[in-house]
Amino acid sequence: MSALVAAEAAVQPQPVRSEAAPSMPRPAANPGLAALRLFLRNPSGLLGSVILIGLLFAALAGPHLYGVDPFEIVGAPFQPPGGDPVLGTDYLGQDILAALLQGGRATLLVGFSAALITVVIGVTFGALAGFFGGRVDAALMKVTEFFQVLPTLLFAMVLVTLFGQRIAITTIAIGIVSWPPTARLTRAEFLRLRGLDFVKAARAAGAGPLYLIGRVILPNAAPPIVVSATLAIGTAVLFEGALSFLGLGDPNVMSWGLMIGQNRAYALEAWWTVLLPGAAIFLAVLGVSLVGDAVNDAVNPRLRKRS
Amino acid sequence: MTGLRRLGATAANAAGLLLAVVVLNFLLIQAAPGDPAQVIAGEMGGASPEIMAEIRTRYGLDRSLPEQLATYVGKVARGDLGYSFFFNEPVSRLILGRLPATALLVLSSLGLAVMAGAGLGILGARRPNGLVSHAVSLVAIAGNAAPVFWTGLMLLVVFASLWPVLPVAGMEDVATPRHGLAYGLDVARHLVLPALTLGIVYVAQYSRLMRASMIDALNADYVRTARAKGLPERIVVGKHALRNALIPLVTMVGLQFGQLFAGAILVETVFAWPGLGRLTFDSILRRDYPTLLGILFCSALLVIAANLVTDLLYRLIDPRIRAGRPA
Repeated sequence: MSALVAAEAAVQPQPVRSEAAPSMPRPAANPGLAALRLFLRNPSGLLGSVILIGLLFAALAGPHLYGVDPFEIVGAPFQPPGGDPVLGTDYLGQDILAALLQGGRATLLVGFSAALITVVIGVTFGALAGFFGGRVDAALMKVTEFFQVLPTLLFAMVLVTLFGQRIAITTIAIGIVSWPPTARLTRAEFLRLRGLDFVKAARAAGAGPLYLIGRVILPNAAPPIVVSATLAIGTAVLFEGALSFLGLGDPNVMSWGLMIGQNRAYALEAWWTVLLPGAAIFLAVLGVSLVGDAVNDAVNPRLRKRS
Repeated sequence: MTGLRRLGATAANAAGLLLAVVVLNFLLIQAAPGDPAQVIAGEMGGASPEIMAEIRTRYGLDRSLPEQLATYVGKVARGDLGYSFFFNEPVSRLILGRLPATALLVLSSLGLAVMAGAGLGILGARRPNGLVSHAVSLVAIAGNAAPVFWTGLMLLVVFASLWPVLPVAGMEDVATPRHGLAYGLDVARHLVLPALTLGIVYVAQYSRLMRASMIDALNADYVRTARAKGLPERIVVGKHALRNALIPLVTMVGLQFGQLFAGAILVETVFAWPGLGRLTFDSILRRDYPTLLGILFCSALLVIAANLVTDLLYRLIDPRIRAGRPA
């Protein structure tokens, strides 16, 4: 136990990205707070946050406030926007606004959950490979390389086709195909950090491998992983849309992708049935990318100079 | 490591990866819910009991798992990817028949994306804080966020009803003769919208990457040296900086080849382009598993080949890699 306490003491004084500190004019007392300040000063980061918060609010509160069942037939099909219902109706006469609000829940939920799966698998692989090196690294990187050979979207399509069109399977499939870049990134960070003095100090104090990985190196490797996790949400939203567009969505769960997939045969007669859900996907991915970039700029001081 | 030994190691690695893909396909057939024979026949293939019995003997489904795996690997090694009961044709012949159309689409989009992306990236890098640079970044972020099937559908709506100057479906007009210059022009006209749709995403990604790596290159010491010795700006940017800035782009292109192929599935579905993507869509619709798994195998094969080509390209661009020194 005392060894762990000592290891903790060895870890505590280390600021995130300690090696960057000497080159900065005034090291911030709290690097997290400094990064937050930088993030808030970035106009595109703010814009992205506003878009994302708006979409999340619409998806969470919207269905309650609007109160129309997206599967209910409210009128004639293909009513253009601007009348009643306000965004028109789709090929069955379902209310498009209701479908957009309800569909946002599924799409964003798939996005966040799939990104979580991506990060858990990717960080586990990358951390073990980078920390242990040698044969463990070679074996894990071989597996990663194998997954990178399979075209991601096609592999996800095969998984959903074979195992069933359910939203849980879609989410897991997206997570399974998306993790390799996160694994490579995490591995690179671990390789860089594991030889630094504060890790050596913790190791000398008797910390075991699990403690070193989880409590000593991982917190310091977190910034780029957070950025990649943010971007993974955007990719997952695009994947959900693509799978549903190809007819592989869960027909019982309204999502933005499902709206496009079901209406696309009528895109020429009723463009709004496809334009609106696509624009929703576009906004969500745009918001996520803007936030991801801003987080990247905020936690990575080297990039700040050039952009 | 000498060049020949390196080449051997690379080839062995590629063969290992390919074998792993075959094993994955085998495991997918086994793990899928239901009887493997049913999976091989395809759910809606309309397989009769006799066909099912034949599949069981052909794939040795009554023997142990390792024996089944050996049979399966042996079949694939001989180029037998199974039989599509929906299309009534061997899968390998189906895929080879559709490959040229997809290759045309993917390579045109890639050419467009690399040229436009590199051009925009260089433009943006010349003045990193200028108006052009910000515009390039904005276009890059927006182009990357738009779902490719949605961009395609919107282009289709515009060109089908508002501004009908380009064909929006298929690869050729029925009326055009299938040979000569007229045929080439006809295919080219049909190619414009699909290639543009697929290319936009990658123009966005490549311009962003190129801008960043060009800014790095232009700040490097060797560029300062080149300028100091009085070389014209055209040579400094176009030769000294560009050659170094291209390396990350080549890496990206190689890594993303599989994604480009997957994007082609969506674009071909939108524009009824008669390639592998369209075949993928049909095989999903019909639950034609042998075709679907055959496409997965072939696309992995293409990606592995693309990685080998990337490796060779590196050596052409960067002599340091050729000499085996770290870049």
